[in-house]
Amino acid sequence: MSPSQDSGEGVTGTAETPTIFHLEGVEKHFGGVVAVKGVDFDLRRGEVHALVGENGAGKSTLMKIVNGLYTPDQGRLEVGGKTAEFSSPRDAEESGIAMIPQEVDLFLELSVAENLFVGRRLPRTRWGGLDWATMREAAREKFESLGVDFDVTIPVKHLSAANRQIVAIARALLREARAVIMDEPTASLADRETRRLFGIISDLTASGVGVVYISHRLEEIFEISDRITVMRDGEHIVTKPASELDAEELVRLMVGRPLSELFTRSGSDPGEVALEVRSLTRAGEFADVDLEVHAGEVVGLAGLVGAGRTEIAQAIFGIRPAEGGEVRVNGEAVRIDSPQSAIKRGIFYVPEERQSQGLILPFSIRANISLSILDRLSRMGLVESRAERETAERFAEALSIRGARISESVSRLSGGNQQKVVLAKSLAREPSILILDEPTRGVDVGAKSEIYSLIDNLAKEGKAILLISSELEEVLAMCDRVVVVREGRITGEFDRKEATQESVMAAATGVRSGSAANGPPDREKESGSSRVQEGRAGHE
Amino acid sequence: MSEARPPEVAEGRPALSESVRRWLMRPEAPALVFLVLLMVVFSLAADGFLRGPNIQTILTQVAVVGIIALAVNQVILCGEIDISTGSMLGLCAVTAGMAATAAGGLVLPLLAGVATGAIAGAVNGFLVTLGRIPAIIVTLGMLYALRGVILLITGGSFVTGIPADTRVLGIGTVLGLNTPVIVLFTLFVVMALVGGHSTWGRNVFAVGGNRRAARLAGLSVDRTRFLAFVLVGVFTGIASVIFLGRAGAVQTTAGTGIELQVIAAVVVGGTSIAGGRGSALAVLVGATLIGVILNGVLLLGVPSVWQDFVLGALILLAVSVDAVRRRMVGDEA
Repeated sequence: MSPSQDSGEGVTGTAETPTIFHLEGVEKHFGGVVAVKGVDFDLRRGEVHALVGENGAGKSTLMKIVNGLYTPDQGRLEVGGKTAEFSSPRDAEESGIAMIPQEVDLFLELSVAENLFVGRRLPRTRWGGLDWATMREAAREKFESLGVDFDVTIPVKHLSAANRQIVAIARALLREARAVIMDEPTASLADRETRRLFGIISDLTASGVGVVYISHRLEEIFEISDRITVMRDGEHIVTKPASELDAEELVRLMVGRPLSELFTRSGSDPGEVALEVRSLTRAGEFADVDLEVHAGEVVGLAGLVGAGRTEIAQAIFGIRPAEGGEVRVNGEAVRIDSPQSAIKRGIFYVPEERQSQGLILPFSIRANISLSILDRLSRMGLVESRAERETAERFAEALSIRGARISESVSRLSGGNQQKVVLAKSLAREPSILILDEPTRGVDVGAKSEIYSLIDNLAKEGKAILLISSELEEVLAMCDRVVVVREGRITGEFDRKEATQESVMAAATGVRSGSAANGPPDREKESGSSRVQEGRAGHE
Repeated sequence: MSEARPPEVAEGRPALSESVRRWLMRPEAPALVFLVLLMVVFSLAADGFLRGPNIQTILTQVAVVGIIALAVNQVILCGEIDISTGSMLGLCAVTAGMAATAAGGLVLPLLAGVATGAIAGAVNGFLVTLGRIPAIIVTLGMLYALRGVILLITGGSFVTGIPADTRVLGIGTVLGLNTPVIVLFTLFVVMALVGGHSTWGRNVFAVGGNRRAARLAGLSVDRTRFLAFVLVGVFTGIASVIFLGRAGAVQTTAGTGIELQVIAAVVVGGTSIAGGRGSALAVLVGATLIGVILNGVLLLGVPSVWQDFVLGALILLAVSVDAVRRRMVGDEA
């Protein structure tokens, strides 16, 4: 955790360093939801300014205001000492502000050079045709200046994720930029590629460019940033030099309360084994997975992004059935080849992608909740609407879904309330085994706390819960046992006492052999060893 | 979400009362408004437009298209499409016609037509669900294949000599109402109930609204879609007997082009072509709207060369009204 790059040192924290841009009292609403309230933020020449906060804290929204994608409802943006009003990213680019968005949006069928020029004024030949030679030359020069060698004529679809990221950076930097905003740039990068990116960042700062760096990986943040700003629930919490903060303090600032107050977990009293998985295998995804969840127990499934946790859960639920191995429910071997058959056995899966997999957006809250139990609410194929309404009301109330009548469409609800609707739908089926895949992703701190106490209550009622999470604090606080997956295999299992940041991380990355981890000790260093922390590139 | 919206718009919408806003949010609202406006215009401009017999004529004319559209509506709500109904109608009419000339009566031809349609629909549904082939390709193939089957069965000749007792479904009346109109409204009521109150009807909306979520909630997505395609066959079979009764004979080209009128009726009425949003009422309104346009144009003495243009233009106008409505109610869908 060296405080900064050598390049950044000369300008770190000095008051005279000129400011590139400055936000003052910025507010932004979406419908009734306040995304950003009264935030101040500034970026100086030659610094890396990290912007951190939980999913939904407003980081991306704030930077999209700087980039001209959003116009603020209140407050102002100053660039180079003058008030700026951007109405599009093009305006921001004119002022020397470039943004590399979280989701790299390139045109896969077009060549690298074409991608760089999409949406810009294209050079023309004397005949009025497009001047491809000039464009290719400009593209080549840009990559050269980034220190990478690139064939600019090949279609982007043939590039790896890391190289696409480089193309996105080159596109953002094609015009001379004074400020570069990077939103989760390393979310899909391996360690070596992350190094390359850091090299590019240090070249940029050395030449006086300021970088805003949004990331969930705390280790990276301490490695490269000069200053850190923390946001929470749309508000500015603190801005400090990186050297004055440590990881623990940073997490506390992000979450906004001591972690002990966020989580609810009363003592557990596990019963019989409810779900048992033996040598579950699916070629290329996971192999020899053994897993047990008792009634009344919360078992965490931890691991890096892409380790195969979701795949294992989806195999148990029959979405993509396993090729080998056995699943037992309450001691009885069962064959599960579709979600329907899993639901019949009392298993329910709450997917990680709320909007694309959990909700029918045009439907009302009521119709979404009753979706899983329509067959139970029907007689002779006809839905009994009174029974439906009563059931939906009962669950909406139990999960305190607020701010809307149950006849309203779910598309207007906040993220937290939408997630509660998804949970209500699952609970309405009264499953005995519940698989929760990132249940608190992208919801505000208040809803998070409610979901944790719901999980606690469900366990007390005797339900067996398998909790998949990339947030290590969540796993450690909520789970009676933690099972760690790495590259599709179980590499560690810890009970509540044994599970610590270090032991789980070691099993997840295979970097050090933790006390109970039975993974191979010294395999190659995995990408970003602290990715477990909160590795998911969140949607904000 | 790219523009600033003042918060009070999302919360209160003071300009429109809540019930009006809710009504305008209904899928068939714009087509219905447009239909009423058009009927007012035509009744002012053309003498005799708003008389009972003329209205009945319009509904009788759109019955065949309307009945098929009620079923195709379910397919489109599932997020699929069926463009094979033109040839399917022809084939059902051929088999029903052959049953009619051989045995007479109403029941046997009706069974023949419905069975033919159900089989053809099942083939569509089978290829789309288990075959995992896009519905537009499957039903395009079936559009040609079924027309080919007609030619193979008939050898290119007409089916004629349909007995009068078969034709009652097309040209009969009950209490002054034409039977096609009665059948249309009966099936409309059935589909309205199915859409709002049956498990399958709700599953159709869920599958079209978000197929993945529907699957994860334990719905049988394939069964839901398969049944929708079979329903199209069944309703096409029923419609074929009306068609047979009205025409009195079946040419090998019978039903050509119907498939697009059917889809027009569904979409103009307000069912989203992307699935998940729509209603049976939308279909009834859409089919009636098309009938009213054609009838009004005729009564106004518009030269027949203009008819297709006027129909197309009015369809585009109706769809534009929908775009305006969305802006009024702030519906991003």
